Amino acid sequence: MAYIIHRLFSMAITLFLISIITFTVTNILPGDVAMMIMGTQSNPEALANLRENLGLNDPLVYQYSKWIIGMLTGDWGNSLLFKMPIGPILLQKMTASGLIVLLSMIIALALAVPLGVWSAVYKNKWQDTVSSSASIVGVSLPDFFWGIMLILLFARALGWLPSSGFVDPGEDFLLALKHAFLPSLALGLGLMAHLTRMTRATMTGILSQEFIRVARAKGLAERVVVWQYGLANAVGPVMTVAGLQMGYLFGSIIVMESLFNYTGMGWLTYQALLNRDIPLIQATVFVIAAVVMLINLIVDLLYPFFDPRIKLK
Amino acid sequence: MKNLKKLFNPKGLIGSTLVILVVLIAIFAPLIIPPEYATRMDMRARLSPPDFSHWLGTDQLGRDLFYRMMLGARTSINIATSAVLMSLIIGLPLGLMSGYFGGRVDNVLMRLVDTLLSFPALLLALTISAVLGPSMQNTIIAIGIAFTPYLARLIRGEALRVSQMPYVEAAISSGATHLRLIIGHVLPNIMPVIIVQSTISLAFAILAEAGLSFLGLGTQPPEASWGLMIQASRDYLDRAPWTALVPGTAVALTVLGLNMFGDVLRDVLDPRSD
Repeated sequence: MAYIIHRLFSMAITLFLISIITFTVTNILPGDVAMMIMGTQSNPEALANLRENLGLNDPLVYQYSKWIIGMLTGDWGNSLLFKMPIGPILLQKMTASGLIVLLSMIIALALAVPLGVWSAVYKNKWQDTVSSSASIVGVSLPDFFWGIMLILLFARALGWLPSSGFVDPGEDFLLALKHAFLPSLALGLGLMAHLTRMTRATMTGILSQEFIRVARAKGLAERVVVWQYGLANAVGPVMTVAGLQMGYLFGSIIVMESLFNYTGMGWLTYQALLNRDIPLIQATVFVIAAVVMLINLIVDLLYPFFDPRIKLK
Repeated sequence: MKNLKKLFNPKGLIGSTLVILVVLIAIFAPLIIPPEYATRMDMRARLSPPDFSHWLGTDQLGRDLFYRMMLGARTSINIATSAVLMSLIIGLPLGLMSGYFGGRVDNVLMRLVDTLLSFPALLLALTISAVLGPSMQNTIIAIGIAFTPYLARLIRGEALRVSQMPYVEAAISSGATHLRLIIGHVLPNIMPVIIVQSTISLAFAILAEAGLSFLGLGTQPPEASWGLMIQASRDYLDRAPWTALVPGTAVALTVLGLNMFGDVLRDVLDPRSD
């Protein structure tokens, strides 16, 4: 319990730092918010008035506190691009991206764990060479290249799946899955390569330990030794790495959602950056960093469930 | 150095061959190929498939993809090397100080680094590039800054480990100054890790540059860049898939080479990772 309180406290500090970094980076943006609202042809006096009204002439510290208090009280401001309050937009886009993130993680783990274990069991044999080569090739291909290949294969050549667009899972779940599948697969394949390498390394370490030799010596089937005794010990480290890959995943969704025109968080961030919608950039960057940090916190807190030997302190 | 033999196993050979090949192309292609070859538009041969006059086909403006790919190598290598160098120049002193001195400096620096690590590297790079305005130079700065926390964290851990070694303690007791200790004892012993990590960071930097340019927030036209080529190919995938395949394969082979080379370097230089 004391551990959880400690972690929550340090999380608050990190969130505070995240907000400061986000605010600082976006405030050196050369774009002028007032100019963006009124257009470049507007008269200078009206511009100056709007600047004053928006508080753009206030000291930065004051602007920052106004922003952070707004964020804390649920007033996230308005997007300049969509001319709508940011809060509801973010909520909707987060659900859209949640589907992709979850799906790609499932795909990655479902492929990476068996491959990694297989590689470790047949260490330095041809099976290991095949799986290791596949994963190093996977790490080396840019995600958007995977995306383009998948569009060519599944959407254009075979015509099985749509190549772009987003459908709300609340309206038609099956269609939503169809639209989310290709971007998730592209992300999952890139992610898989990292996770396979990690699973292989962890399992190699575990399989050379005493208790595995004992389990073999007492005549347990190799299947049981590897998949129950061995894998149970690898779950913790693999989950931790999967959690750490969240940062990578949330970076990649920006590219992938733009490629597939899937209007989620990554697409929103990209639109905000392209159009220099500063309030929206601040909100999306802050939320993504906060989510990445939270997911890692949750993985840490769940660790004792995967590995009862570990006590949180 | 019996480890050195590993450089010549299949993985090492493939990796180093690919890396040497790309570096040679990056250096010599712009010297040999007249720049107008890559910009000359052949309007009668737009999106033409690979044939004898255009080995790898042409793009939507009828520009030769083979020449554009060769010239794009320099852009990629230039940006990636400069970005990694930049993150080393910032990250190395920070990591060394943090790991070596420990205490309050370490606490503050590592808290900052951990916070920066919550930002996905690509998001950070994209934001910085948007902030500064996309250009080749700003792409380097964006990727360089985005990579710094990773290098600083790694170097800090290594510096911490090495500064607790008996030989460092021995040097302290013989009255060596901090500067002498850091430069003479700590730095040389973490050099292998830095070299391996830089090689692998180069691979990531090439991917990041391609990603940034693909999104239009990296290298800008008319510069020849692999990411830009892939971006341009998006609208012509149906009719001319080679416009995506050519630059995509170039990125993949370069990154593959660097990754394999990095893996083998780790085996050669880092005796602990067996």
